[in-house]
Amino acid sequence: MRFFKDFAEEFKAHKALFAMAAPAFFLVLIMQYLPMSGLVLAFKNFRYDMGVFRSPWNGLNNFKFLFSSGTGWLITKNTILYNLLNLITSQLLAVIVAIFITEIHAKYFKKVTQSVILLPYFISWVVVGVFVYNLFNYESGIVNSIMKAIGHEPINMYGIPAAWPFIICAFNAWKWTGYNSVIYIAAITGVDGEIHEAASIDGATIFQRIRYITLPSIRPTLVTMILLQVGRILRGDFEMFYQIVGMNGQLYNATDVIDTYVFRSLVTNPDIGMTAAATFYQSVLCFLIIMVVNAVVKRIDEDYALF
Amino acid sequence: MLNKTMKKLLSAALVGTMAVSVLAGCGSSAPAAQPAGDAASGEAAAVDTSKEVELVLYVISDRPAGQDVVDENLNKLLKEKMNTTIKINWIGWAEYANKYPMLFSSGEQFDMAYCATWLNFANLARRGAFKPLDELLPTYAPKNYEMQSESALKQATIDGHIYAVPTLLPTYITYGSIYRGDLAAEAGMTDDIDTWEEVEQYGDWIKANHPEMEVIDVYAGNVELSLQWERMQGNYEIDSGNRYIFYDPSEEHPTVFALYDDPTAPEFYDMCYRFGEKGFWSKSALSDTDSTKTQNGKAAMRFHNIDTWSGYTVLHPEWDFKYGVMTSDIAHLPYTQDCMVISNTAQNPERAMMFWDLLTTDQEVYDAFYYGVLGTTYELNEEGQFTITDPDLYSTSAMWAARTFDLNRNQAGVPESYNTVRAEWEKNIQEGKGTERFTGFVFDTSNVTTQLANCQNVRQQYGWPLELGYVDPVAGLAEYKQKMQEAGIDDVIAEAQKQLDAYLEAQN
Repeated sequence: MRFFKDFAEEFKAHKALFAMAAPAFFLVLIMQYLPMSGLVLAFKNFRYDMGVFRSPWNGLNNFKFLFSSGTGWLITKNTILYNLLNLITSQLLAVIVAIFITEIHAKYFKKVTQSVILLPYFISWVVVGVFVYNLFNYESGIVNSIMKAIGHEPINMYGIPAAWPFIICAFNAWKWTGYNSVIYIAAITGVDGEIHEAASIDGATIFQRIRYITLPSIRPTLVTMILLQVGRILRGDFEMFYQIVGMNGQLYNATDVIDTYVFRSLVTNPDIGMTAAATFYQSVLCFLIIMVVNAVVKRIDEDYALF
Repeated sequence: MLNKTMKKLLSAALVGTMAVSVLAGCGSSAPAAQPAGDAASGEAAAVDTSKEVELVLYVISDRPAGQDVVDENLNKLLKEKMNTTIKINWIGWAEYANKYPMLFSSGEQFDMAYCATWLNFANLARRGAFKPLDELLPTYAPKNYEMQSESALKQATIDGHIYAVPTLLPTYITYGSIYRGDLAAEAGMTDDIDTWEEVEQYGDWIKANHPEMEVIDVYAGNVELSLQWERMQGNYEIDSGNRYIFYDPSEEHPTVFALYDDPTAPEFYDMCYRFGEKGFWSKSALSDTDSTKTQNGKAAMRFHNIDTWSGYTVLHPEWDFKYGVMTSDIAHLPYTQDCMVISNTAQNPERAMMFWDLLTTDQEVYDAFYYGVLGTTYELNEEGQFTITDPDLYSTSAMWAARTFDLNRNQAGVPESYNTVRAEWEKNIQEGKGTERFTGFVFDTSNVTTQLANCQNVRQQYGWPLELGYVDPVAGLAEYKQKMQEAGIDDVIAEAQKQLDAYLEAQN
């Protein structure tokens, strides 16, 4: 009961602070914590007339479809690998872009460059899907038109699954680099300009300044960004995969992630319980992974851990 | 609510219905609804409509701009006739897959909704999304009930209860080639293109003379060659959501089989491979999302049903679209292909049923509901065919289940053959023969949901590329079969066989 006593004292002492925190607290409670109770659906045979809590229990049956045909492991692996690849490429590119942009001093060039890099973020995946199809379409795609023009045999890109992790990764980086770099630019501009000046006066080259001043100063941001991404490592970006790959079964072994698999398996015979089971599986694994990674980060440097 | 006499009458009607269904179960083909209908029609008139009621109806389609005008006109009429108004809510095509099941799980109060086999009517009914209509239908919609055929009501019956009012407009299990009459004439093919040899001949000619066109319209999610192949042989799919398991309805005791186990499967996949090599469709077809290639002149042929064809003829009369029937045993589509359901949250199910009765029997109400306002949204010619004034304003209602054979109008410009062909089919269909014997069969998938989810995936991943000739027909077929078996298709087949046998058992 110690906790409640402390809490009561704390409450009395800082009424105003509690009042200010209350809206956020209740918002999180209602929007994030209460819906979690819906996870029971993963273990239920859902009936519309009985609702979420009164529907009969169903054991682990809802999980079977994920694993019964051996696809469960493949799609889990794909999801994690894609997320890792995307995490590394888009963050790395974002850091490089941020450093370049902050080092550019020509005002208009800087603004234009930044805008151009940010622009893809605003293009919806649906449109990107159309781009991709028009690039790689065998008969009339841009790639094959060029191939034919230079006297090369056309390439059937949709018949080469191995190429698609790179294509998907490239489009992901293209879309997210600009957006992520904004955060790093903010971190870099937060560094005191005098440190850079002092280093220049001491004769540091531009690379030495980047290596010893800029990079260390954005390290906390970088770690936080990576931790946040790791927390979503089992969530495939459904829209991206669905719009780029769509219903093209030839590519599934290389491109299928949990979200697309679940969508495809259940779109003709929807089952709320089975969908909930997939979400439950993703959430639990994400939770475990983020706990482990956070613990590792904490070990190395406590200040960088998320919690 | 109901008073005592009403309740008595109701139960009398119920007993009547039950007696009839028992008789019907014994294989009598007497006009099924007669006694219950008579008992009910007397009291329907006595229902109290003094309280004004607003009904809420959900349909699936994008809301047309002119809906307000249509609503105003319709509600004036309904207010007059039965002191009721109706509010139509639209669920857009982009969101229906997620939003439609949510309607029933969210607890929202509404009265009626469009439903269909492709919206998983049976599954939703089994999970308690709808109100049972065993009493409501004969009592409050007696005229509609009277017109329902025995097999229609059987399809609407899930686990012993009627859960939907099926459409009264017969539609047909047909598939065939929709092709360009003008091009076929140029190619010298004046007979209907309705065999695979003719398809190939037409395709070769197109490829040689119109290389810019795709020969056979294939796009993502619309790989229908195998369906066409099976229909041509008179085989019928066990479930419209799972078109890779078939049976032969002409057999006395049909055996359920997977597409790849059809003895003609190797021949079929060889043909597909050949067509693919000839470039009848794109090598990237599975990523193509353009569903309008035939109607826009980018493709020369498509396999689909007769209504798609009649739609095309109205769009482009100058291309002289033709329809080659490639289904050897035509039967009625399940009547739950289009149906109306009452939500389990409905506040006024009685009034909703009365409205439905009026809608499906009264031309004036039907016209106002389905076509809108005469002179504003549609025009009629002397033959009573309609023309849409402005498709951007309003075309026709999305409540397709309201159509009936008597009230529905043809669109002006549809060729005469649309009617003659269908009349011919109607004449040839024999109750209880061939595919027609099975139109009442509904596959209950609840025991095999896991396996079906897996098979669905395998079909897309391995079946479609094989069907489009992207992989070697022999090795690909073996792989497809192996993956399907790993996914548990044998359980699905066994379950389907069991249910089909039980269905036949009950008929005899």
